[in-house]
Amino acid sequence: MNTVVMKKERVGEPKSERILIGDRGGYFLKKIEGETRANISACYQCERCTNACPVSHFMDIKPHQIIRYVQLGWREELLKSSTIWVCLSCEMCTTFCPNEVGVAEVINHLRNIAAHSSITPKERNLAVFHQTFLEVLRKSGRVNEFRLMNAYYLKPNILHEKIKSGNLKEELLLGLTLLKKGRLKPFTSRSKPIKDIQKAYKNTRGEIV
Amino acid sequence: MKLSFYPGCSLEGMAVDYARSIDAVFQALGIDLVEIDDWSCCGATAAHSLSEAMSVILPARNLFAAEQMGLDIVSSCANCFNRLRFSQQMIQKNVLDIPWPVTGDLRVHDMTRFLAEPDMIKQIKKRVLKPLKGLKLVCYYGCQMVRPPRITGYTDYENPQTLDRIAAAVGAQVIDWSYKATCCGASIGIARREIGDSLTKKLLEKARQAGAEAVVVSCPLCQSNLDMIQKDRLERPIPIFYFTELLRLSFSDRGNPKWFKMHFANPDQLLKKKSLL
Repeated sequence: MNTVVMKKERVGEPKSERILIGDRGGYFLKKIEGETRANISACYQCERCTNACPVSHFMDIKPHQIIRYVQLGWREELLKSSTIWVCLSCEMCTTFCPNEVGVAEVINHLRNIAAHSSITPKERNLAVFHQTFLEVLRKSGRVNEFRLMNAYYLKPNILHEKIKSGNLKEELLLGLTLLKKGRLKPFTSRSKPIKDIQKAYKNTRGEIV
Repeated sequence: MKLSFYPGCSLEGMAVDYARSIDAVFQALGIDLVEIDDWSCCGATAAHSLSEAMSVILPARNLFAAEQMGLDIVSSCANCFNRLRFSQQMIQKNVLDIPWPVTGDLRVHDMTRFLAEPDMIKQIKKRVLKPLKGLKLVCYYGCQMVRPPRITGYTDYENPQTLDRIAAAVGAQVIDWSYKATCCGASIGIARREIGDSLTKKLLEKARQAGAEAVVVSCPLCQSNLDMIQKDRLERPIPIFYFTELLRLSFSDRGNPKWFKMHFANPDQLLKKKSLL
């Protein structure tokens, strides 16, 4: 009598099939430990990181679970999670971890991997914002808030979502007030060594565009 | 004394008032701040989120430019300071090739800690013309300036004291509170507004509960987050001051309301009540 209903698989929940530890866990754990030099194996799930995290209630996989998932080698679940994008890098978790696991560094590294993978980010807008920031930076060497916001709004779907949620008018008014107060500068100042920066981008394959 | 100054992108835009007050304060203290030649952006959160290599290389160029000048760096923005320090440590550990011959030997100061050294506090006290008597403040440090301690070098990262010492030196009444180093959400509010709002609202509420009339910050992003959420005129706004604005106010016998016209939470009323303006 098999009454188990297969629910639609949700990110953050373990798969219905059990993945054995050491199946590919060993490889992924060693890879991440090597790349971040974080002490992931030392984690004993005390949840100090999750308790310190100011945005843990917006995450689908909590910080201590992230570490556990890495130990288990659940790569796809990690890269599909909203956690890696919601994380603010405020370093609360790293600072207060009793075993010095380096939780924030691990999450940041996973975000890097996700950004260069084919997996669609769960928090698309946050990923798009980061990318827009780097695009503006690459153009002029410095980031002008006015240009950053314009470029961000012109990304596909962003404006559409703002209109749908009814926030557009409010945000335009805010932008206007900021301009009036002199806090936004419509003209950008260019940093001269921009050529060097663009070259560095290319050489490190930093271009994520 | 001569130092090289890394202002960061916000000081050209959202935090022009911060830049102006820094100029005024350092002039009064007789310290020469030389802006780093053609400084470029440190990459902030976006660089280390998407490309860890760029998060080392982008600040490295500024370190290199400062090394050419041979002057220790002082940074006014918490995130820039954090990124510069991080890059410096990575350069010293030699983890990747940097396109510029940079050694990473300069000292990178964050502005609050630099001004909170005992010598500087003495200098500040000497120049106070109008103590900010009776102004009840809480100091808010945010995250990037104090954490992670292995990068920022703070030993009192759970209860940092630099801003407290500076605010006390100019005669303000500093109130202790528990949210000194809790994150304000940084740029997350742009893409996920409800997350940003929930964090900033909590901070303001806790500041009110502690009995503060104003908040002192040193980070441009913390200031704009805490300030902009008060754009719908509240009954009792909590002005968010840069610490240099308070120094500037106490260094002159007559404050100028123009200095604060960029703020959303208007401090005029509060300062007039305390007869500081």
